Amino acid sequence: MTAEIYDRGYRRYDGPRTGVRGAMTTLIKHSIRRSLGLGRSARFKVVPILIILASFVPAVVFVGIAALIPAAIGDEFLPTYAEYYGFIITTLYLFAAFIAPDLLCNDRRSSMLGVYLASPLDRRSYLAAKAISVAIMLGIVTIGPPLFLMIAFVLEGSGPGGFLETLETGAKIIAAGLMMSAVYTAVSFAVSATTDRSGTATAGTLGALVGSTAIANIVVENTDVSDNVLLFSLLELPGELAFRIHGEVGEWRPGAISTSNMWLAVAGILVVSSLWVWSRYGPLLVRR
Amino acid sequence: MAEGVAKRYGTFSALSDVNFTITSGITGLLGANGTGKTTLLGMMLGLHQISGGSLMVLGVDPFTDGSKIRARMGYAPEHHTLPGDVRAADFVHHVAELHGLPPREARTRASDALWLVGLGEERFRPMGTMSTGQRQRVKLAQAIAHDPSLVLLDEPTDGLDPEQRDDMLHLIKTVSESFNISVILSSHLLDEVERICDAAVIIGDGRTLAAGTLDDLRGTGADVVVQVGSEAEAETLAQILSGRGVAHQIDGRTVIIRGDDESVFDTARDACASAAVSVHRLSRRRLSLEDVYLERAS
Repeated sequence: MTAEIYDRGYRRYDGPRTGVRGAMTTLIKHSIRRSLGLGRSARFKVVPILIILASFVPAVVFVGIAALIPAAIGDEFLPTYAEYYGFIITTLYLFAAFIAPDLLCNDRRSSMLGVYLASPLDRRSYLAAKAISVAIMLGIVTIGPPLFLMIAFVLEGSGPGGFLETLETGAKIIAAGLMMSAVYTAVSFAVSATTDRSGTATAGTLGALVGSTAIANIVVENTDVSDNVLLFSLLELPGELAFRIHGEVGEWRPGAISTSNMWLAVAGILVVSSLWVWSRYGPLLVRR
Repeated sequence: MAEGVAKRYGTFSALSDVNFTITSGITGLLGANGTGKTTLLGMMLGLHQISGGSLMVLGVDPFTDGSKIRARMGYAPEHHTLPGDVRAADFVHHVAELHGLPPREARTRASDALWLVGLGEERFRPMGTMSTGQRQRVKLAQAIAHDPSLVLLDEPTDGLDPEQRDDMLHLIKTVSESFNISVILSSHLLDEVERICDAAVIIGDGRTLAAGTLDDLRGTGADVVVQVGSEAEAETLAQILSGRGVAHQIDGRTVIIRGDDESVFDTARDACASAAVSVHRLSRRRLSLEDVYLERAS
């Protein structure tokens, strides 16, 4: 038997190429890795890991309560799946405010946008891949903990009864989570498309969420306008719609604000955000 | 191939009449800063729509079929602001995957490309810790890792010291000659284009000032240069040439005799003999790119 030494070196490549879809998949994977701080120094890992852990902590506590305390008493302490968002809402806002600016603003400030647009990606596929990345990351927080809660309850025997009910609850959790991810992605994307500075975009995202809610509530409480003005509350709308998806009632009275209006408001946020982001990226001159 | 390419931003005309045909090898895209070189590269990549004329890259319109074209092209941007916390190997691997290489192949080729540019040992260092010269090499590596047919390099020697510049130019020549990758090298430095390029496109005032192979541009094959011992001798030679009706131009001790066939040498020899001047040099006229640039720009 003889040993052979291969000096491969740089050479021509005539194998298959994955095209635009492959480029989008690559960008999504890369963006998620960056958001989680993988392949980056420790300081980039701290915020995402803490936020994700914080979103799961209440679920772990509730699973513990369900396991240790008799069902008759424990049920009083346990939230519904829609109520769960109330425990993790801060982590959601923070996540939304940090991820999109990190993924969008830094590409524009560095030469990376030019490198991406010099690949098979164009502006649309680049933005789509980035939006999917942000939505997946937010989905970890909006879908992960309630889904974990449901699975744990099912295993403990205190969850939805029967296969179909479990499936229906799971579908509602995913639908509510996707809707929340989409809204927060849209808001943070729109703000991140407005400035090249990620810190400013983070502050702007938080400002848009808190500010819109404060203004909508002040207007409704101090004037005679319709409660539908609350649909402009970017902070409350997704959570309230999550209640409706789960067949529950939140703070907003169904008689005052209909579920269809809430869906329309969500669609409006997505459309306005998309148009705004495109108005920023469409004519953007890539000079780097 | 560009025919009458124009690019306008509102009322501002960045490019107005750009014409050239680029073949394989290394082509220099020359012009002063701000003359529209980067805009032209952007249009070749399909990033900007042209406002007039037609532009074809690798036989395809880059704006309408940009994705296909860009999969076969590599691009190294001018600026050095690549993400500092990303390791060079990860960055090159990522760009290779973006251009359609399967993950495992992209990883291997990223490593090979970094070795080729001399960063084999440094490939796992974050780019923020690298020198300007090393970052320029990383940019070259990411531009070639996916085996493109054409590479666009925007000011690849920017910020390099003379030694690093020599190394980079040598690398670019190796990439083109050894792997048959065509290169378009955007630069405002005439001498580096002259050193490694086979052809050049000179842009000025938003239009093509000159385009062609370096031999064509520098005028090899036309006119003869005669350098004599003194300015007085040059005057004497010029008088003889005038008397014989031969077109010429005098510049100090040098007399340029017009003519693009072999007989111009006979004319020069006979005139020198008649004038009894001492001939220090007699050769075909060969302009530098700087001469060409200044001549066309004026």
